[in-house]
Amino acid sequence: MFLTYLEAIRQGIWEEMERDPTVFCLGEDIGVYGGAFKVTDGFIDRFGPERVIDTPIAESAIVGAAFGASLTGMRPVAEFQFMDFIGCAFNQISNMVAKTHYLWGAPVPLVLRGPSGGYVHGGPFHSQNPEMWFVHNPGLKVICPATPYDAKGLIKAAIRDNNPCVFFEHKYLYRRIKEEVPAEDYVVPIGKARVAREGRHLSIITYAAMVHTALEAAETLSQEGIDLEIVDLRTVAPLDREAIAETVKKTNKVIILHEHSRTGGLAGEIAAVVNEEVFDSLDGPIVRIAGLDSAIPFSPPQEQYYLPKVEDVVREARRLKAY
Amino acid sequence: MGNKKTKSRQSSNGSRPRSGAGARKNHVGADAFVRPVARSATGSPNQHLRTYSIPDYRLEHPDFTVRQVTKKDKYGHDHVRFEVEGEFDAPVPPIRDSKYLDKRQAIEIYRWMLLNRKMETALENLYKQGKVVGGVYFGLGQEACSCASAYALDRDDWFAPMIRNQGSMLVRGFGARDIMMQYMAKAGSPTRGRNATAHFGDIEKRNMVSPISMLGDLIPVMAGVALGARLQGRNLAVMTYIGDGGQSTGVTYEGINFASVQNLGLVLIVESNHWAYSTPSQMQYRCQDLAERAIGYGIPGVIVDGTDACQVYDAAHEAVERAHRSEGPTLIEAKMMRMKGHAIHDAAGYVPKAMFEFWRKRDPIARFENYVVREKKWLTPKENQDLIAGVEAEIEAEREIAVNSPMPTPESAEGGVFCENGCHKIKPKYGMPKVKKGTAYKATEAAVHLK
Repeated sequence: MFLTYLEAIRQGIWEEMERDPTVFCLGEDIGVYGGAFKVTDGFIDRFGPERVIDTPIAESAIVGAAFGASLTGMRPVAEFQFMDFIGCAFNQISNMVAKTHYLWGAPVPLVLRGPSGGYVHGGPFHSQNPEMWFVHNPGLKVICPATPYDAKGLIKAAIRDNNPCVFFEHKYLYRRIKEEVPAEDYVVPIGKARVAREGRHLSIITYAAMVHTALEAAETLSQEGIDLEIVDLRTVAPLDREAIAETVKKTNKVIILHEHSRTGGLAGEIAAVVNEEVFDSLDGPIVRIAGLDSAIPFSPPQEQYYLPKVEDVVREARRLKAY
Repeated sequence: MGNKKTKSRQSSNGSRPRSGAGARKNHVGADAFVRPVARSATGSPNQHLRTYSIPDYRLEHPDFTVRQVTKKDKYGHDHVRFEVEGEFDAPVPPIRDSKYLDKRQAIEIYRWMLLNRKMETALENLYKQGKVVGGVYFGLGQEACSCASAYALDRDDWFAPMIRNQGSMLVRGFGARDIMMQYMAKAGSPTRGRNATAHFGDIEKRNMVSPISMLGDLIPVMAGVALGARLQGRNLAVMTYIGDGGQSTGVTYEGINFASVQNLGLVLIVESNHWAYSTPSQMQYRCQDLAERAIGYGIPGVIVDGTDACQVYDAAHEAVERAHRSEGPTLIEAKMMRMKGHAIHDAAGYVPKAMFEFWRKRDPIARFENYVVREKKWLTPKENQDLIAGVEAEIEAEREIAVNSPMPTPESAEGGVFCENGCHKIKPKYGMPKVKKGTAYKATEAAVHLK
């Protein structure tokens, strides 16, 4: 089946609801309306209002209720209309959901999902990539797929996982990326990166929409004889330390690319992993390409300036290659 | 500090009376529970006037006003203190006869309250002996509220205590040793040393959700428990507690509202104990009684005397029955007094002494003992003595086990962050939800928000 990124997620949740009666969805406007991005379009007709619940605009209640239901053995999938709003439920996620298994041993099988990311002129409250808020919360799995295949396989894996998973969909990719996805049931393992492009000269470690930015840069650079390897992390917590070490051992030079702002970003953590695992393999400085240390501005020229671009990757790759 | 009117400067929040006895003419009883928030416009001379009723089970209506006053010391420096006004000499009301409790049940609740209090006395002693890590939190004066409310739950129902509801945990089947070991951070504590105090849970047998320190978050969580159970075909009562301080949080609103909209069997006990740490309730909210909030949620609200186990039980029992009948949430405001500071370190010097004196005369256990032994004669003085001795022996045995149990190893801090390698098998607790048959998957082509 040739599916968009959005359709892949939609199909993944649908199939899990067909397969497992303990899976249900809750969120704002996900029922009759089908969700702001239509990820749950048609779900309420198929699965009924009991399993596709339109909630009040109350993110803490949504997460709290999902958590409570998970304690009875249900597998809730809670939608945030935009992942920016997940901040409203932060305490519930950080202090209740994430710490429960460690503190008192109850499993929390739930998924918190929704659209994140920029490049669509959504402004500062509809374009954020708040994954780092959760990477720093032990007990959560944080998933950021880049392709329809991975999006479907990972949403299914997240729903089947016995732990709380925060699933960041990239809204720029929703309808822009299409690919062939197998019709039969499959999952993509959480915590495993993939090599999106094999290369010899230097590695780009990235995820989500930035995988496509890196791939585009790789095309340009290949004409100059610079051969990029691109590692798509797919999951940002837990990090696939082996895959990070592996690619650095192979190319000896590494650029870390992400959309969210630089300070305290994932690149810092990955740089530390490289340092701890494969310091002796490095033939150059670890380079970071990231969003600015500010909110994401609204106006297209400003947003474009804020966010990493193909030219940034090309420029930094040339510089590092020459080092 | 005092209980007389002063000419001192008052803060802007402190000039309104509360809980005026004269204002209460409401109907009391089970029939009021059927549609206690029904609004009435017909029959009123003013057709635009709506009236709502809040049943009030209490036999007295203490009316205190706490306000901040500024006084000068002999050097002319300002000092801000709390003062209280009210009727402190009112006679102590009797225990209200329960509509539901029989002799055996009343004696059981009495025993739970004793166990609750004597366990906390033991904890206080353990603290003084340097055996407790951190602080101790007391439910002194609130034992009737904790024990009689939890006693109203059925075995399959769920509950989530707050820090002062240690009595509820005993009622629901935890041992005093569990709570003592939590306080002493022992390896054998329910959280294996990982968390303190009443912060533990059990989803297998006792259906208890662990509290977190952040207030209000348990309310939507318990709504979710009821939601999960309902999807599995069961209408459960899910009970939790919030204080007059904790109810100020936004998530309290979100949680009650969610339960209301979804018609879930939430039984919310609002423990109005007058003080949130050092802040009087008049600085937390402006309505007369927190039970009035129920009107805004479209659910029944009721007021009980939190020092009267019969009143607490009756209201909780009716709320639990409503939940089982799928009639939705109930808000029960229990009026009482936190008889100690926030925790053991806090001598509560900010509380005007008259308030403690007033409520000390309304001690939930002394009054219930009098009710069971002298008024109802359900226990002879000898039987009562034996019961008390039995509770003391139980606490001593539990204390002995807890004190002599080992501390955790340092390395036991590791592991268990995730549920992995088959550490839990997850299945619906009350049976597989029924599913509806439907159409096959079809791709969506609808318009969207941001492209």
